[in-house]
Amino acid sequence: MRAVGTILHADLDAFFASVEQRDDPRLRGRPVLVGGWVVMAASYEAKAYGIRTPMSSALARRLCPEAVVVEPRISAYTEASRAVFDVFEDTTPLVEGLSIDEAFLDVRGLERLSGSPAQIAIRLRRDVRERVGLPITVGVARTKFLAKVASGVAKPDGLLVVPTERELAFLHPLPVERLWGVGPVTAAKLHGRGIATVGQVAQLDRTTLEFLLGRASGRHLHALAHNRDPRPVEVGRRRRSIGSQRALGRSPRSPDAIEAVLIGLVDRVSRRLRGAGRIARTVVLRLRFGDFSRATRSQTLPQATAETAVLLVAARRLLTSALPLIERRGLTLVGVAFANLEDDAAVQLALPFAHASCHFLDAALDEVCERYGANAVTRAVLLGSDQSPAVPLLPD
Amino acid sequence: MDRETTAEIERELDEGGIAAGVEDSPGMKITVARDELVAKLGVVSRAVSSRGTVQVLSGILLSAESGVLSLAATDMELSLRTTLAAQVEGDGAVVVPGRLLVDLARLLPASEVTIEYRPDEGIAHVVCGTAGYRLNTYSAEDFPRLPPVDAQLHAIGRVALLETISRVARSASRDESRPVLTGILVRFEAGKLVMVATDSYRLSVKETELDATAPELEAIIPARALQELSRLSPTAGAGSDTVELGVHENHVVFGTGDAWLTTRRIDGQFPNYRQLLPETFEVELAIARVELADVVRRVSVMAQRNSPLRLRFAEGELTVSAQTQDVGEAKESLPVSYTGEEFVIGFNADFLRDGVDSIVGDDVQVKLINPLRPAILVDPTGDFTYLIMPIRLAG
Repeated sequence: MRAVGTILHADLDAFFASVEQRDDPRLRGRPVLVGGWVVMAASYEAKAYGIRTPMSSALARRLCPEAVVVEPRISAYTEASRAVFDVFEDTTPLVEGLSIDEAFLDVRGLERLSGSPAQIAIRLRRDVRERVGLPITVGVARTKFLAKVASGVAKPDGLLVVPTERELAFLHPLPVERLWGVGPVTAAKLHGRGIATVGQVAQLDRTTLEFLLGRASGRHLHALAHNRDPRPVEVGRRRRSIGSQRALGRSPRSPDAIEAVLIGLVDRVSRRLRGAGRIARTVVLRLRFGDFSRATRSQTLPQATAETAVLLVAARRLLTSALPLIERRGLTLVGVAFANLEDDAAVQLALPFAHASCHFLDAALDEVCERYGANAVTRAVLLGSDQSPAVPLLPD
Repeated sequence: MDRETTAEIERELDEGGIAAGVEDSPGMKITVARDELVAKLGVVSRAVSSRGTVQVLSGILLSAESGVLSLAATDMELSLRTTLAAQVEGDGAVVVPGRLLVDLARLLPASEVTIEYRPDEGIAHVVCGTAGYRLNTYSAEDFPRLPPVDAQLHAIGRVALLETISRVARSASRDESRPVLTGILVRFEAGKLVMVATDSYRLSVKETELDATAPELEAIIPARALQELSRLSPTAGAGSDTVELGVHENHVVFGTGDAWLTTRRIDGQFPNYRQLLPETFEVELAIARVELADVVRRVSVMAQRNSPLRLRFAEGELTVSAQTQDVGEAKESLPVSYTGEEFVIGFNADFLRDGVDSIVGDDVQVKLINPLRPAILVDPTGDFTYLIMPIRLAG
């Protein structure tokens, strides 16, 4: 087990309703219900009236007559979710998506690059707020289970870090309903035995619990009540990429200037890739134009790599092929992502005729940046340009 | 159709080739032996384009003239042509959908097939016994003119040529983003034929002595075309000890006796392979080839999803192991004449297997520098070298 809690559970608050409130200022501060016959989501203002999901709209309206009911806009939620997951994946490559609005993130090993887990969580909440315009709650702990409990306690729009030495002190006073897998039936069984808190569950021995709840369930709760949850954050198959982007504003830029921005992005993202111990096979270039339309270009390499020079060649090629489009429509945002990630435990080396192998150069530059800061060493082409990570107006 | 392809077709139309002069005539009618037709369709069908951007390239050109039926197909990179004896009742030419003709010819019931094409209706009639087919066709005029084959030809020893191809072809790249590497560097020099192929992860060099004088040639030829030549030659060229070779500015022609293969040359600079082959090594040892091949093959079963093979060299022993997460692992040792400090080097299982399989003699000469530098396998005769880049292992 790890000594420091590096697992984040990030959960968007009243996700669908928050997207509606974000997109329509008239809905802000008011109870909002999303759905037709059935309430799919309710804003926190509506939840204050006792509205839960799922619940029939008729009942919900009786509970809260002034609630505004809006039709669900799934495509808007999907896009918002994708944007939030982009923020997750910009934070760490170890993202396990649980659903459209919820994920585990493991930030271990990012201390020197991005700061402590608490600092990362603060920045994550700020990034989601700024880039996607949505409130998100984050729980930080040593296990997945406890991180999820922490975010549940911290909701809405909160952050809760459970220090390693305070785990049981935090966990035990909580009601048993907070334990993963305790629904109404199990809760009723436990209440029937006078068991109301997690601490009381922890005092029972495992056989008693197994007798009470059945073998699997008893063993499961016994482990959770003692905060034993060895499951690692597993990167899902859904999307695996690491990337960054930069808004360029509306003034036109020369191809050279755009290329300089691209180089800066590739430098930074490839450093993060190496920092996370990963290699990538696919280079993705994301563009947003003056008319807010978007384009994505990607190239898959024959072998995965984390070498800046190789990734940059591919990114440049993609940019060059998109230049006519950029000229016509004007570029307002450029992003680079590396996808098809693999562990760098085994990297196929290549003969050095395509490019000079920069493995050792990359390692040396990474070292300098880690020790003296990201701007300690830069390329001549980037001198004098502002390469601080910019927050785009709209997420990609 | 992209602009480049169009330009290419137009250029070849201007050049004028063997199909020049073939035009839709009042009607083509031929009768051929079914088995021979099937065999000859098998020869040309490999050049039928599967991409479908230019429809006529998915067809096979049939042209009948003075007792001979010619068959041709091309995908603009590679072309294949052959002929067969036919009873010709009317000259003419037509392009018939390739895949379709190949498939139905195999199933025809009787020993004789009649193919008739009347330009006014644009339909090819295939009749065999009581079976009859009507096939829609493409116009022969739209079929690209293939490069002429009447240039000065050189006879190359068939066995030497094919063996050289077979030793290096596996190392050629299939990644279209670097076209030069999808080709094989072919060079004739002072009584020798040299071929080199690399996908940047391994590199094969084969030198073969030639009996006859060779043409002056250094060209990058698509590996695919040379592999087609190998496939073609043992059957189509049986009985003939030589393959005819004609060298042109943009393409190369191979004649195998009764089939002609033309292939485009790849433009560009082939990597300077001599510079890439290390000259000094830290470790040189001979390992029994069959034993090594067997061990590598057995252990490779557990090297799935790009997992590396680990080769641990220790005093007197080589241990090959592999491990795939969620699948399992394998390990096997064999005695080798290694002395010195223990070390581990990783290789892609397929690449190593290809290398060991390309060696012909009893022993593989293995030459190593360190786990991050290229390794080399050499044939006992010294005329074949296989360079393989290691996989950098963590820790």
